Amino acid sequence: MTPALYNFILKTADDCFILGHRNSEWTGFGPFMEEDIAFASMAQDKIGHAWLLYKMLDENAAAAETLAFKRAEKDFKCCHFVEQPIGEYDFSLMRHFLFDHADQLRYEMLMNSSFEPLAHFAKKFKGELKYHTMHADTFILQLGNGNEESKARMQSALNFCLPLALGIFEVYEGEQEIISQNIFAGEKVLQEKWLEKILPIIKDAGLQMPDMATLQAVNGGRHGFHSDYLQPLLKEMREVVDAFPDAIEW
Amino acid sequence: MYGNGYISPEETAKQKPDPLAGEDLQQLALFEERIARGEKIEPQDWMPKEYRRQLIRMIEQHAHSEVIGALPEGTWITRAPSMKRKLALIAKVQDEIGHAHLLYNAAETLGKSREAMINDLLSGKSKYSNVFNYPATTWADVTVIGFLIDGAAIVNQVINAKGSYGPYCRALERICYEESFHLKQGHDALVHLAVGTKEQRAMLQDALNRWYRPIIHFFGPSDKASVHGTLLMKWKVKMASNDDMRNQFLDQYVPKIRELGLDFPDPKLNKNAEGVWEFSDPNWDEFFATINGNGPCNAERLAVRRWAEEHGRWVRKALINPSQKQVLPLS
Amino acid sequence: MKSFDPRVNRIKPIEEKTEMNIGEAWEPYEVFHQKKRGDHHIHVGSVHAPNAAQALLFAKEQYGRRQNCVNMWVVRTADVTQFQYDDADIFETAIDKEYREAYGFKVRDKINAYKKQQTESK
Ligand SMILES: [Fe+2]
Ligand SMILES: [Fe+2]
Repeated sequence: MTPALYNFILKTADDCFILGHRNSEWTGFGPFMEEDIAFASMAQDKIGHAWLLYKMLDENAAAAETLAFKRAEKDFKCCHFVEQPIGEYDFSLMRHFLFDHADQLRYEMLMNSSFEPLAHFAKKFKGELKYHTMHADTFILQLGNGNEESKARMQSALNFCLPLALGIFEVYEGEQEIISQNIFAGEKVLQEKWLEKILPIIKDAGLQMPDMATLQAVNGGRHGFHSDYLQPLLKEMREVVDAFPDAIEW
Repeated sequence: MYGNGYISPEETAKQKPDPLAGEDLQQLALFEERIARGEKIEPQDWMPKEYRRQLIRMIEQHAHSEVIGALPEGTWITRAPSMKRKLALIAKVQDEIGHAHLLYNAAETLGKSREAMINDLLSGKSKYSNVFNYPATTWADVTVIGFLIDGAAIVNQVINAKGSYGPYCRALERICYEESFHLKQGHDALVHLAVGTKEQRAMLQDALNRWYRPIIHFFGPSDKASVHGTLLMKWKVKMASNDDMRNQFLDQYVPKIRELGLDFPDPKLNKNAEGVWEFSDPNWDEFFATINGNGPCNAERLAVRRWAEEHGRWVRKALINPSQKQVLPLS
Repeated sequence: MKSFDPRVNRIKPIEEKTEMNIGEAWEPYEVFHQKKRGDHHIHVGSVHAPNAAQALLFAKEQYGRRQNCVNMWVVRTADVTQFQYDDADIFETAIDKEYREAYGFKVRDKINAYKKQQTESK
């Protein structure tokens, strides 16, 4: 596997892993029992996707664990968007909407990847991601068109999220190689498709899209520069593992 | 988990001296014949007021136990020590919310709205299984809860699934199916600690020590004398005595801990010649103190649930459909 | 007091009285799932939801996450009409309705008798 491909898969996996971890924090804390269940399923899907991708990087079963539980923060390649704390449900829903549309489109594009294992997974993930965006769209449309409070909340969540969401598409090391080898058509292409997809939904939800030209993407994650939230997240996640350095299995 | 048919003393006090006063005796006879024939009671059926009241109380308490039961294990959801444990724990805690959901629906068929039940939980008026008022202080606690508390819950739920109320039985059938996964994943995680490093094993033994008493308390105090021949047994609301259930549990699970070379911190814990498990006085005063709100985590559990309800309110309110109807789920 | 749950330490749990208002739990929808093509849809329970679209989303995870499922229906509970169990006697029948069952029609004896008679008369 070339370093470029490794890097591409790693950052894709890291996004899913960290977002899945974040979203799982809602389990038992959700706004409604039925929704609690749905959100917990989607968190599992995300972590599951990350796990498969980690294993793709190294077939050795322990390697995926090492990537998740032992890797240094600077070696993570996730974007700042997924690192943010769960906040209130408006933020978590909006992040879920914005991220999962990008994720769904990414895997749609990967179905034609020249790297067969990715094309294979892309087909496997399709159904789950379809449900995720179906779920997200339904909520965004309803809450955007809901009452004064929900409109205002969703609007400010959108405003807060967009610069962070643009960080999903940050250029990463080796991207040119990935494009030229027909592994993936590139983050620029994805970002355009993504905008095309989300704009009509945001409009139907009665929300105002800020002027994209004025937005500054929150970047850095793809190069190992992270928000202040990642290190504490990892420390918490590894509390048990770190406390038992001799333990081999859990 | 865990609506054990335990009736707190205050509940008993509320019971009228004659719980059947004013009932239509002809209807009552038909109702009791149906139960005696082994038929289920469905929500639309005639039923004595006391049957309805006791079932609501019991199913509601069971539902609350599931929703609160998600919190002790949820304590470790962000810290589960491997990918598989992480996924299994999210799925397990999610199932418990799912159980709560099924049970609230079942209780609702008897005429109490979900809102009213949640409010009674939040205000402290309704009880839930005492065991969740103890903290999960280490990762090993998750494995002990998953194996032993879920194990105890299964004993209770399998017995209750043979009860007389159709919707409760249907919910329990699905719940028992999922509990078998809970038990397996709990046992798997526990065994990994038991056969792991000496530090892992020590953490597990410490968890067993702390959870022993709450586990003995789980089925409630001895109720043999009061229960036999009562209406609740006759109506198949309560299906077995607390002692019988506890004994069945100890019989199944103590050997599974001892085969790992581990034990509970009670030298008197042993099966006597008659096949009955004996144990030291588990201090029922502590049990009553905890059930009455003075356990280590009662306040936190409810405060967290209040947070969840309060912070979810804007979502629920925004989606209220003006033409929605207050009806009961069918079954 | 510090909780053992880091998630709890990130929020401000509420000590004061909090209530869910009537109507906030929306309304029930009945859920039917189909395990595989060719099967009937079978009633599996209910979900509370503010509308049918949301009910489907919720039903999918609560009733479809563990078993095979190819399709689901949700129906507003308020729209379901049912008999009363009190009227279950309408399903009872006074006579054994053998005239509407396959076992109610047996002519083999007649055919055999006829054949026998034919052979004998030869
Ligand atoms: Fe449960
Ligand atoms: Fe369970």
